[in-house]
Amino acid sequence: MARKLTAIPELCSGCRICEITCAIEHFGVANPKKSAVHVLVAYPHPVVRLPIVCSQCLAPLCAEACPVGALRRNERVVEMDSMQCISCMKCVEACPFGAMYAHSDLDYPIKCDLCGGDPKCVQTCPKGALRFIPEQSLGEAKRLNNILSYTHMKEIEFTEKGEPRTIRYAEIGKEEL
Amino acid sequence: MSLRSGYFKKSLQVDLSTGEFRVRKLSDEFLERYLGGRGFGAKLLWDHLVARDFRIDPLGPDNLLVIAPGPLTGTYLPSSGKCSFVSVSPQTGIYGDSSIGGSLGVELRQAGWDLLTIEGRATELSILWIDDEQTTLLPMPELEGKTSLEAEGMIKERLGTHEVRVAVIGPAGENGVRFACVNADWSRNAGRLGMGTVMGAKNLKAIVVRGSGDLPVHDLKGLMAEAEIAFAYMRQHKYFKMWQREGLMMVVDYASAAGILPTHNFKDGTFPRVGQINGETMLNSHKIGDSACFACPMSCGNICLVKQGRYVGTVTEGPEYESCAMLGSNLGIDDYAVVLHANQLCDELGMDSITTGSLVGAVIEGYETGVISLADLDDQPVSWGDGAAVVALIHKIARREGIGATLADGAPGVLRRWPGMEKLLVQVKGLEQSAYDSRAASSMALAYATSDIGAHHARAWTIAKEVELGENWTDEERVDEVIYHQSLRPLFDMLGVCRLPWIELGLNEEHYARFYSAVTGREVGLPELLAQSDAIFQLTRLINNRLGMTRRDDSLPYKVRACPIQTGPTAGRVIDPENFEHLLDLYYQKRGWDAGGNPPPEIERQHAGCSPAAS
Repeated sequence: MARKLTAIPELCSGCRICEITCAIEHFGVANPKKSAVHVLVAYPHPVVRLPIVCSQCLAPLCAEACPVGALRRNERVVEMDSMQCISCMKCVEACPFGAMYAHSDLDYPIKCDLCGGDPKCVQTCPKGALRFIPEQSLGEAKRLNNILSYTHMKEIEFTEKGEPRTIRYAEIGKEEL
Repeated sequence: MSLRSGYFKKSLQVDLSTGEFRVRKLSDEFLERYLGGRGFGAKLLWDHLVARDFRIDPLGPDNLLVIAPGPLTGTYLPSSGKCSFVSVSPQTGIYGDSSIGGSLGVELRQAGWDLLTIEGRATELSILWIDDEQTTLLPMPELEGKTSLEAEGMIKERLGTHEVRVAVIGPAGENGVRFACVNADWSRNAGRLGMGTVMGAKNLKAIVVRGSGDLPVHDLKGLMAEAEIAFAYMRQHKYFKMWQREGLMMVVDYASAAGILPTHNFKDGTFPRVGQINGETMLNSHKIGDSACFACPMSCGNICLVKQGRYVGTVTEGPEYESCAMLGSNLGIDDYAVVLHANQLCDELGMDSITTGSLVGAVIEGYETGVISLADLDDQPVSWGDGAAVVALIHKIARREGIGATLADGAPGVLRRWPGMEKLLVQVKGLEQSAYDSRAASSMALAYATSDIGAHHARAWTIAKEVELGENWTDEERVDEVIYHQSLRPLFDMLGVCRLPWIELGLNEEHYARFYSAVTGREVGLPELLAQSDAIFQLTRLINNRLGMTRRDDSLPYKVRACPIQTGPTAGRVIDPENFEHLLDLYYQKRGWDAGGNPPPEIERQHAGCSPAAS
């Protein structure tokens, strides 16, 4: 089953544990800058905390930009062959999400490899903001969170075991379709 | 075993007057003994003051500002994003420090520096731009009067990048408000003791850092293993999720129920309308995002937005408990939107929210009791709960307009103009008391009185334990608890980590000895680190005594010893001055100080031999 690494900005706290985890996993150093995931933080307009992760695109623009074919999509990830890489870093600039990274200590761009199928950043994220989920579940959080903003739901408030609760429901048959 | 890693072994010394940068190699002895952060700052400030015979003007070019993360800052460890600012405080005139979270310290270390020292005064308003090994002093007079956020935006535009960390002061710092803060990562502040005032006096609007280097760690695998144990412990804690949701805002309800929530300038210990400014209100009506310092799973920061009413559009990170109490209940304000707006103003104008809230509270009570006249208030009356008047006062302080010019000088300024305010100002050594009423807990009163920086809660936070144990606690146990906190707490600032995993989630302090050993390769146990940490508290005490502090300054605010709390579960409680003097005697005795509060001469000798510079 194909899985996607995805980030839920509403949950991210900007703590950067993902960055340092990735750096240690791939380069064996404590250096949050040597990471295939970086947390974008913007304020106050808009307020954004979002880990920028590689989407492992099926039609990867990073690979298209590579003049020597060092980047290739296999069945799971966009893979980098460092033997072919000429260190031009065009792929870093080509990624529409800015999800590839360069570092002055390194000859090659930093490319997410999903840790061989079990991303460490997902394991260490304390907020559950990074998820590794089946492709058909992409957008799950949005579907749940945004449903109330675009559907016409009714509300009743009641008390259950002394706790105030709210139920939202659609009143079938009374709305003109 | 000696030091193997953990440091770059170099400091950057900046002289703003000459524009010179010097790199100093740091000796192993200095690194091993003072560890980092507050430890580095205290030692360097001590040496600096000894060389000047303890004559210094905190606002003069001669004052030294030390900015130091610790050896654990930026590593894979819980809440390892702390960095200390240390200087002679313009607010109190004695030793001062304040720590900041976020990622500033991490960036400074990635640029390759264990610490940064700043002296002198730039000829015009400037920024210090540290881009890995390259350092530039850049005049930016166009930043004059800009709020911290505006200035940060202009700086990022000028440098052409947003991937930098900016420690910046607001107009308050430029205008010499004595309690100006330094702001970084939007809403993280080195809040107390006027560290922003020191920067302002040096014509330094901002320190901008970008670093890319690896952090030195002796045993990364060992560190990871230790860190995993700590992270796992924190994750399973019953309050962990609660911390992520509410952060320090959960303390508001607790403090009000316990009768220790400052209300109406510490007249009351309980706020009847606390439900309108507590964590639940924040969650239900205002919170739009979570925020954490580097590598912190607790994410105590709350990003909040005002969605309607007069202050609609106010968006800021915070307030946390202290700001919420001091700008909320302490001023009788029961509207969380006003608290949020006042907190945002303090951040962006660049002022300590605790001191600001305390001074404004004293002004309201001063006006109420007739010590301050309507003319003194520039004919603009202010009363409990009057949000608009409070907001106007905050603006006036930052710009030093009207009554703001007096308030900007802090407690000493207020006392010079209205000596009668002595009974209404709740402060020790010139620093306004934090938001825990000490009248219900004599250990907390002792903690505030003997704190080396004035009445700040972070030196020894014993109040929760005393509230819990109540009368079953002996005086001796109270004193021991205060001393233990004062001895241990410098360690967190020295290592460059946050104390909250320990104090709030009970992460055992033994972990920190193992973290330190893994990072530096210097195998030491907690007792040795504790001794090093306590030595810093003793050293800062010594600095203060040399700067003129005596037993008389280890005192209680008038309210704490003479005005009982009026309402709530702690109503009637007050600290008996005689009992306090007894506690103080016991404290000095256990500390090994004489009856005047002076540490023994060997403390001074301990620090004399060690040179920071490697030969």
